[in-house]
Amino acid sequence: MESGKTTSVIIPKKSQQGFFEIRMESIGGLGANVAGKILAEAGVLGMGLNGSNFSSYGSEKKGAPVKAHVRLCDSDTPIRNNSPVENPHILAIFHESLIKIVPVLQGVGPDSTVMMNTTKTPNETRGILKLHGGYLGCLDALGIAMAEKSRVNIPMLGAICKLSGFIDPDALRGTIKNVFGRKYPQTVPGNLKAFDRGYNEVKVEFFPPDGKYPYQPFIRNPSRLGYMNQPIGGIIVSAGITKEKDLSPSRMGFIPVLDLETCTHCGECDYACPDYCFVWEKGVSKTGKKAIFLKGIDYQYCKGCLQCVWICKPRALTTVKESDYNVDEITVPHPFRKKLTK
Amino acid sequence: MDTETREDIKQETDFLSGNEMASLAASQIDFHVMGYYPITPSTEIAENLDEMKAEGEHDILLIPGEGEHGAAAICYGASTTGARVFNATSAQGLLYAMEQLPVQSGTRFPMLLDVVARSVSGPLDIRCDHSDIMMALNCGWIILMAKDPQAAYDMNIIGVKIGELEDVRLPVIVCYDGFFTSHQKRRVQYFSDKMVVQNYVGFHPPKYISIDVKNPITIGPYMNDPDLINNKKQQSMAMEMAYNRLAEVFDSYYQISGRRYGILDTYMMEDADIALVILNSAFETSKEAVDRLRAEGFKVGVMMPNVIRPFPVKEIRECMKNIRALCVADRQESFGGWGGNMSIEIKAALKDDPDNKTLIISRVYGLGGKEFYVEDAMDMLKEASDVAKKGKVEIPFEYVGATPGDLSYTPGQKQSPMTKEETSPGIISLNRDAQTGKFDIKGVSGRPLNEMPKRISQGHSACSGCGIFPGLDTFFKGIQGHVVVLFQTGCGMVVTTGYPYTSHNVTYIHNLFQSGAPTLGGVVDAFKERQRRGEIPRSEDITFVMVTGDGGMDIGMGHAIGAALRNHNMIILEYDNQGYMNTGAQLSFSTPMGHATSTSHVGPYQSGHKLHHKDTPQIMAACNINYVFTGIATQYRDLIKKAAKAQYFAKNEGLVYGKLLIACPLEWKSEEKIGLEIIQAAVDSCFFPLYEIEHGITNITYNPEDKGKKTPVTEWLKLMGKTRHLLKPEYKDVAESVQKEVDRRWERLKAMHEHPLL
Repeated sequence: MESGKTTSVIIPKKSQQGFFEIRMESIGGLGANVAGKILAEAGVLGMGLNGSNFSSYGSEKKGAPVKAHVRLCDSDTPIRNNSPVENPHILAIFHESLIKIVPVLQGVGPDSTVMMNTTKTPNETRGILKLHGGYLGCLDALGIAMAEKSRVNIPMLGAICKLSGFIDPDALRGTIKNVFGRKYPQTVPGNLKAFDRGYNEVKVEFFPPDGKYPYQPFIRNPSRLGYMNQPIGGIIVSAGITKEKDLSPSRMGFIPVLDLETCTHCGECDYACPDYCFVWEKGVSKTGKKAIFLKGIDYQYCKGCLQCVWICKPRALTTVKESDYNVDEITVPHPFRKKLTK
Repeated sequence: MDTETREDIKQETDFLSGNEMASLAASQIDFHVMGYYPITPSTEIAENLDEMKAEGEHDILLIPGEGEHGAAAICYGASTTGARVFNATSAQGLLYAMEQLPVQSGTRFPMLLDVVARSVSGPLDIRCDHSDIMMALNCGWIILMAKDPQAAYDMNIIGVKIGELEDVRLPVIVCYDGFFTSHQKRRVQYFSDKMVVQNYVGFHPPKYISIDVKNPITIGPYMNDPDLINNKKQQSMAMEMAYNRLAEVFDSYYQISGRRYGILDTYMMEDADIALVILNSAFETSKEAVDRLRAEGFKVGVMMPNVIRPFPVKEIRECMKNIRALCVADRQESFGGWGGNMSIEIKAALKDDPDNKTLIISRVYGLGGKEFYVEDAMDMLKEASDVAKKGKVEIPFEYVGATPGDLSYTPGQKQSPMTKEETSPGIISLNRDAQTGKFDIKGVSGRPLNEMPKRISQGHSACSGCGIFPGLDTFFKGIQGHVVVLFQTGCGMVVTTGYPYTSHNVTYIHNLFQSGAPTLGGVVDAFKERQRRGEIPRSEDITFVMVTGDGGMDIGMGHAIGAALRNHNMIILEYDNQGYMNTGAQLSFSTPMGHATSTSHVGPYQSGHKLHHKDTPQIMAACNINYVFTGIATQYRDLIKKAAKAQYFAKNEGLVYGKLLIACPLEWKSEEKIGLEIIQAAVDSCFFPLYEIEHGITNITYNPEDKGKKTPVTEWLKLMGKTRHLLKPEYKDVAESVQKEVDRRWERLKAMHEHPLL
């Protein structure tokens, strides 16, 4: 690694401590962790700035929410913080459906730039996000990634670079080459192309804070539970409570669909599904015997692994693009969803 | 800390995390041996070193223990030969190894252990606090604190130097914060030439080593009174010598690196009258608080000792001479001690200065990884300032950052508990012939059994395509009635019980990683005793099932055997994904030969895992338990019949053990969709035969040869990214060795199937 260059970079916006702060909101598997590393490394080793980077996530899991935090500052500004980026200058959202389950906009004010991986326009996106105000950039990072044989994180980096106004795209290109060049040299040309496209194709619009949507301050401790009301010893008394969770944001674009006409109700899909999405109902067969019948899929829990499609012998289950369907219309909720007390 | 650049000793500037810097230091020091066991957040050290070794960058022999206690023993043994030894662990790993630590110091064999600070269970928390490192205060090791990635590198080198000094000869711990330092990247420097490091630490073999046949010695005798006290006096004197020589060692490190570490790290303490003492990553944050309060006119400062064993009492007394009020913030509590250990020791140190009048408050913060903000440090200093103004301490000890919760909310049951009737729909019937002992199981059919309620609920956060959950649910379709489960630590446990959520519809217990079998044994036996005493109705019928990964069966092998020998009425169900997946896909002893994992890299100098896979069903069968089985989710009729039999045996005869092979698409680097195809291919290649052993009689329940389906192992290996390299010509030897071993075990199993006595 070459030593830091002296630089005359001017960082356009700084927090009280002198940092330019970036937060990336993603799910495991889209490369946000690596994107954070590349961005910070480019700033420190490629541009001679000081910087820090880390991701917040727990144990190894694909599909679970992940945040990557990056701080960049002047070379002689010390970095003493380890805490998460609460008021990012750039907020990058890697996965649109994350908005349903994570309050991604907390701490994002009119001074921030929000950037989202989406095929929608900034205007539509503002409504979906309920963005208080500020710059909003939209980029079809997934489309670019697929076309250039790259991954979502690389065009996202291109867009973030452009929107920052000061991060040097050559430094980023150099870091991308370094990070991927040793072990996966065949991915470098595609990645560089995807980076450039992200840089050039991000569409930005400014929305003045017109009061349409409120500002969401960063909340540090959102839990309802505390030392006065949680059962002692860490015991959880609400059995099966994960039923309340919406796992659909962890899908990566594909879902199984069921054709009940072709289905023989053999039941094998239930044995393949890790997320117990199949909904059964007791009934009577044509021969008058008691039997259970498949009603459909509860897409709230479906992660799109498609093992049910693999196991289905009559091919009643097929793989489709989620964007071609309205999942809310075809979902068959499990009966218990009505019974859950609030 | 002052820094000056040295012109003649070249250093690289880079951007690295604490774990990366610790690995780099170890690699440059070129220890002979690292005995290790993975635990978050210290796992990356062994992973990085394994990857570097596969690329030929160092010669450290990396030896995986079956658990941290074993890993610590490997280290101890290696250190007695005069080899330079290294290890890294956290929290539970440190505690599991703790029995070894006083032996290391008491018998005077130096080594270096990185403790990447993590909260001690229970409940289980992988994030940072100092509850683990403070447990080590009494182990007789030197303990150096590293506040950032740079210090993680520097202190490892300094630690080797101080521990090996002739008149010290004590083992050394270097402690840095989990996640806050271990996983956060910073701009850093390291020596370009590793020989600078090796020349600095030198070569200091001990006087007495275990492998010198010319000087036969006895290590570790039985020593009672009146002699032990003298051994401990020697140890105490060695610690004192370490204290006396630390400044000199720090100075010698400054001479080569330009980075000067003091015994204490101080910021603005020279003219301060209010101070904060706080360790590691939070110390850095507190410097920012000092700057902001100074701008408001407060004369504040912050201090952190760079060494806590030996505890630098002289320097602390000197530092606090003019401080009117001090807040000591501990990232740990010594429950019942009215503060953390630093509070207690600092108060004790200052009491020995008759002139000291510092008022002291103890605050506990940041437990379990709770973020520490600049504002929190400012609040602590302002509180100390108020104490100085008032001239007295009103609240000597308090928690900072604990929250009471929303009192209008009381958690409770959100669904009705499963009834015996719901879970016994009577689809399966099981009968056993009284004379022959043969089972007649009817009703095992795919579709009707989908009526069985799920013991594990929707909504768990496993990776897409995780094989654990089809495996477990298929098994549980064969278990009727009430169930209480225990999970050992692993993926299954983590994805189903992230507080405050749980996916378990039935009662679930999690204790530790390795002791699930005796824990559940304790539950079962106490349940029966409470029934016997009439405290619980005899009609209450519960099946007790322990669920574990192959990881838990490594670290918990001894415990599982113990439980089998006691023959508790319970089922041990193992899901094997061929590695320690939850902590980042490190190898387990069930990882087959040649498979790539994060601690068995494939590179120019290494070709994946070096050993053949463990045969856990045979190990458990050798305990002479009455029922052992293997199964997979795609052969669900076979597995459900075995589950029904398992339930029968557990209820009526004693311990049952069963193993499922399940897919992990993330770490097997395979397509999610084909998880079940991979498992079936493993079975069809006879790598994972489906069989059962009932009262010692082996019965193969699926024979791919008979069906003309037996395939070479390459048909299975080609489906996974972690093994695709084995199809290349340069790995032919490994692939052939795997085929040979698979065939050998299969032939042996067939012989056991044929012969009732085998």
